Amino acid sequence: MATNPMHQFQVHRVGPEIKFGGIDLSFTNASLFMFISALVICLFLFLGTKEKKIIPNKMQLISELLYNFIAKMISDTAGAKAKPYFSFIFSLFVFVLICNMVGMLPYSFTVTSHIIVTLIMAMFIFVAVTVIGFIKHGFKYLSIFVPSGVPALLLPLITVIEIISYLSRPVSLSVRLFANMMAGHTMLKVFGGFVVSLGILGGWLPLSFSVALTGLEILVAFLQAYVFAILTCIYLNDALNLHH
Amino acid sequence: MDKDDGDFKTRLKIAKEKFNKDFLAESNKRGSFMGSAFRLGTELVAAVAVGTIIGFILDSWFDTKPWLIIIFFFLGSAAGMMNIIRTAKRMQKEE
Repeated sequence: MATNPMHQFQVHRVGPEIKFGGIDLSFTNASLFMFISALVICLFLFLGTKEKKIIPNKMQLISELLYNFIAKMISDTAGAKAKPYFSFIFSLFVFVLICNMVGMLPYSFTVTSHIIVTLIMAMFIFVAVTVIGFIKHGFKYLSIFVPSGVPALLLPLITVIEIISYLSRPVSLSVRLFANMMAGHTMLKVFGGFVVSLGILGGWLPLSFSVALTGLEILVAFLQAYVFAILTCIYLNDALNLHH
Repeated sequence: MDKDDGDFKTRLKIAKEKFNKDFLAESNKRGSFMGSAFRLGTELVAAVAVGTIIGFILDSWFDTKPWLIIIFFFLGSAAGMMNIIRTAKRMQKEE
């Protein structure tokens, strides 16, 4: 029986084994659930924007709400200059959100509870933001490591600290999402295990905890997707508007 | 009558404000407080970890075994503190 709370995070192969030059490229449950999430997003947005009515139906209303939400978030945090990156941030937010939400379904797999997935996304954002910064400002972009108004004696020290702080961005971005998802799902599983082991007499207390935790987890799933997207906006803002 | 009407309106206003403050804000805030706390925590840990890793790598490059890792651990801690101050300032601005 799968009472091990970490069992839910195991990646296993779905379908045939595919080896390509010594690298295992098999289709796993992680890829399956990423695929499902992407499919859900495409289907939802397709249905939401199929009939462009002036008085929207529910699907259209939700997709328009989502669009406005992200558009407002970007204009609030990164300004008008970030408009061209709307589609990227929108996809990022919706993908993380739907991955988290799909993970809340029983018997499903939470893709974002694996650090490799979140780290790749964070690394991509980090590299992209750095490249955008250098394209927009050239070598003047390096001035973000040199804050103004620092005495010359302290400048080398502050610069090193700033560089470490800059390099820590992808780590904190990815670890935050990964740790939140993994901790929440482990907790749910542990309480679920308590329900089973305490039986019909004592199982009600952990069951009520489990219900409350499920509500909390849905909140966390949304909140973490939001934090992920808003931090991307903030980093983009640092790269686009070079003064802080 | 007119006085009663005004009294009712102020009472309604107070009740609405209380409702908004107590229920809606409280239920949202508890989640976002946890989010904020987690955000600050990871900000500190990530910078310390990155600093230490940089120190470790530089140590094995220059063969100065324990020294650079110690220096960069403290630099990483400083960077983490700075991250936290910055994040907290941004959070205060948001509110």
